[in-house]
Amino acid sequence: MSYFTTIAGGLKSLVTGLGITARQMRRKPVTLTYPHVKPELSEAYRSLISLVQFEELETHDCIACMQCVKICPSFCIEIDGGRVEGIKRMRASKFEVDFALCSMCGLCIDVCPTDTLEYTKLYDEAGYEREWVYDLLDPFRDFEDEFVERQRVSDAREAAEKAAKRAAAAEAKAATEKEPEVDP
Amino acid sequence: MNQSAPDTLERASDDETYYLNMGPQHPSMHGVLRLLLHLRGEKILDCEPVIGYAHRAHEKMAENRSYIMFIPNTSRVDYLSGMIYNIGFCQAIEKMVGIEVPARAEVIRVIVCELNRIQSHLLWLGTFMLDLGGVTPFLYCFDDREEILTILDRVTGSRLTYAYGRFGGVTMDVDDVFIEQSRAFLVRLRERFLMYHALIRENVIFQERCRGVGVISEEIALKYGVTGPSLRASGVEYDVRRAEPYGGYERFDFEIPTEKAGDCLARFDVRVREMEQSCRIIEQGLTALPDGPIGPKKLIKKLKPPKGEFYFAVESARGHFGMYILSDGSDTPAKIKLRTPSFSSLSSMPDVLRGTMVADTIAIVGSIDLVIPEIDR
Amino acid sequence: MPRTFLDIFGNPLLALGAGIGGVMTVLSLNTLFCIWFERKVSAWIQRRMGPMEVGFHGTLQTVADMIKLLGKQLITPRGVDKPLYHLAPLMVFAPVVAAASLLPFSKTVVLTNINIGLVLIFMFGGFAVIGIFMAGWGSNNKYALLGAMRSIAQNISYEIPLILSALPIVLLISAKGPMYEIEGEMIAINGMNLAHITAVQADTGVWFVLLQPVAMLIFFIAILAETNRAPFDIPEAESELVAGFHTEYSGMRFGLFFFAEYSNMLIGSMLATVLFFGGWDGPILPGPVWFFLKAYLLIFAMMWIRWTFPRLRFDQLMTFCWGALIPLSIVNLLVTAFLIKVL
Repeated sequence: MSYFTTIAGGLKSLVTGLGITARQMRRKPVTLTYPHVKPELSEAYRSLISLVQFEELETHDCIACMQCVKICPSFCIEIDGGRVEGIKRMRASKFEVDFALCSMCGLCIDVCPTDTLEYTKLYDEAGYEREWVYDLLDPFRDFEDEFVERQRVSDAREAAEKAAKRAAAAEAKAATEKEPEVDP
Repeated sequence: MNQSAPDTLERASDDETYYLNMGPQHPSMHGVLRLLLHLRGEKILDCEPVIGYAHRAHEKMAENRSYIMFIPNTSRVDYLSGMIYNIGFCQAIEKMVGIEVPARAEVIRVIVCELNRIQSHLLWLGTFMLDLGGVTPFLYCFDDREEILTILDRVTGSRLTYAYGRFGGVTMDVDDVFIEQSRAFLVRLRERFLMYHALIRENVIFQERCRGVGVISEEIALKYGVTGPSLRASGVEYDVRRAEPYGGYERFDFEIPTEKAGDCLARFDVRVREMEQSCRIIEQGLTALPDGPIGPKKLIKKLKPPKGEFYFAVESARGHFGMYILSDGSDTPAKIKLRTPSFSSLSSMPDVLRGTMVADTIAIVGSIDLVIPEIDR
Repeated sequence: MPRTFLDIFGNPLLALGAGIGGVMTVLSLNTLFCIWFERKVSAWIQRRMGPMEVGFHGTLQTVADMIKLLGKQLITPRGVDKPLYHLAPLMVFAPVVAAASLLPFSKTVVLTNINIGLVLIFMFGGFAVIGIFMAGWGSNNKYALLGAMRSIAQNISYEIPLILSALPIVLLISAKGPMYEIEGEMIAINGMNLAHITAVQADTGVWFVLLQPVAMLIFFIAILAETNRAPFDIPEAESELVAGFHTEYSGMRFGLFFFAEYSNMLIGSMLATVLFFGGWDGPILPGPVWFFLKAYLLIFAMMWIRWTFPRLRFDQLMTFCWGALIPLSIVNLLVTAFLIKVL
């Protein structure tokens, strides 16, 4: 008897399985037809990096501090830079990333002191050569002279303001020294 | 190397036995595992796993970079439980150096790790069915897994190699949408469990293929250091989360599912029940998510670890994942040895496979859930 | 009774040419359709879309694939047994054409009308095993050899329930007496003549699936096994034996194996249609339409089964055949014979 119950039980389970796939058959496909429909990338999507264009600076704010170079586990960032004649802020003159090596771990973005690195939304980029180097500063080259000029002016104004403030402070100090203390 | 002659096993003395290289290129070797089978007909007389085809020198890389630079590597050792490895490594360093983790970060870590565990088990479920010849459940599992990846993608910015942990916390905070999505996913998954149960577990062919096949006895499991669900299916109640609680797991209420039989069916049951327990943990975590910071204000870059040896273990989706760190007091580890569960599970295979059939090999190797890059590291 | 091609054309050579041409056309179109249909069915079950790019809903996808296969290099690996290796695809493919020409697809016109049609079809079905073994043995590949060995054991075993479950039909037909009246014409009825089997079902209005549900089930399962369809696709078990007996074949040689597999599916379903579902019998629509409709419904069922279940293990497959199917079909045959005698 158990021979037949086994067969019947087995058949029942198979029919149940067929029922499940039949139910799935009637449902809508979940496919995203990729080249026709692009996927929606999440806000935090980690992709290739680029430099932020700050509104108040109208350009990037890389100060060539080398933090990202030091922390990059793929050793794919190369930066040159330093002082620019006449302004206080350090400026990068070269920011080369070999995207063929980059593993998109996001450590450089975490470590950046001026938050001038951000992720792009590129997800289908590919390198076709062994070295796939981009200079991230390239889009900012045209702004650089202007920025330096502006910065020079603002630095000079700042310096002048500071000097004026210092002078005022010195004056005030001199004044307080002259006057005897009122409060006992 | 002369491929026509087997390079490790002795040549058989009679004409009836022959050798079959299963892998490294084979549809169901889950990557590049090579099993050198010693066959008579379809019966396996002996088996030798040959590894090393996916060696990427992660341990060596650790010796050439500071601790924080090793974080992205950890996600790549076992790409299926990348989050657990990633956060496990951070927890190891935190314990070694003595960094405090804020309560919120701790709970977030538990939630994302359990999501990752479910994701890994779902993928195993799918590929296991694929090994047994059922293609459709594989696609269903991937459909569910996609949900988890989307949830984690929103939070971590990556779908597989998360690099989400930082010493003393995590990189990004979770928001209400994450909580909502996770809750919705748990509801969906519990419905799908019913479907999987009817479609897979109840199926007579599946049961026939799995019951009594590939029994890893308690003795063999302990002898080779098999851990994780494969060990628990052999009747040993060992789970690092319970045995040596870490990362706040002691505050969560969950069971450790075990089975006695030790066959493929038992391993299947243990993994499915483990997914249910992970759901419970996530639920508790979502309810009890405290407010507060998710890590130190400034990224901890330079470490000053004490000199000496240090060992820390977490429970990955495949079992006991241990990190042995040898520190010379500098910012660069002198040596990091990763103890990976797949390696130990694979070591037990010759003993388990002896006397089975070729078709069973696929089922057994599939059921212990190997990730080949994890074996080679 | 239906007219054969020989009756229509008169000249045997002309009839032969027309028959082969017709069969090849049907089989080619069937293969093109079935591959597309299989991909679509699997896509629907798995909630995907399947081929969508070439032609309307990917209908021309298989044509494109076929062109690709034709353009591929034919690789002959070193160390193969050349005659066997080259002959095997033809050996698998040729019997299919022969078998297909035996089926009565319409009420009025058939290709051939042979009194032992059923036996011939089973015989041509058995031929395929030889081709598969030649492919497996000649390929000089262990996976192919394993697949071929499995295939032989499987096909030989499953031929027994296949024939045993067709026999009750033969009994039922033969029991109608030596002479039987169909549409006012008295004919000497023969249980192994496929046209007669259909004609009797159409005449009585009772499809044999109603009289022989168990035989129908066993027959269907055996057909699945004979055509190497999942869950019995053990000779080419992808996750175990890579591609089984045709591992080493490339280009159009591989295409021929594919062609044979899908043609076998069609022939199996058509045979089941003839034996159990009344062949061309059906209201309103013309006979051939009903015939193909029923056959494709069965093919759909085969695909549905394939994309739902995991694969059996080899020894379980044999146990299932010898332990369940053969005893059941013998019991079914005996009960049928007993009932025919008593009633």
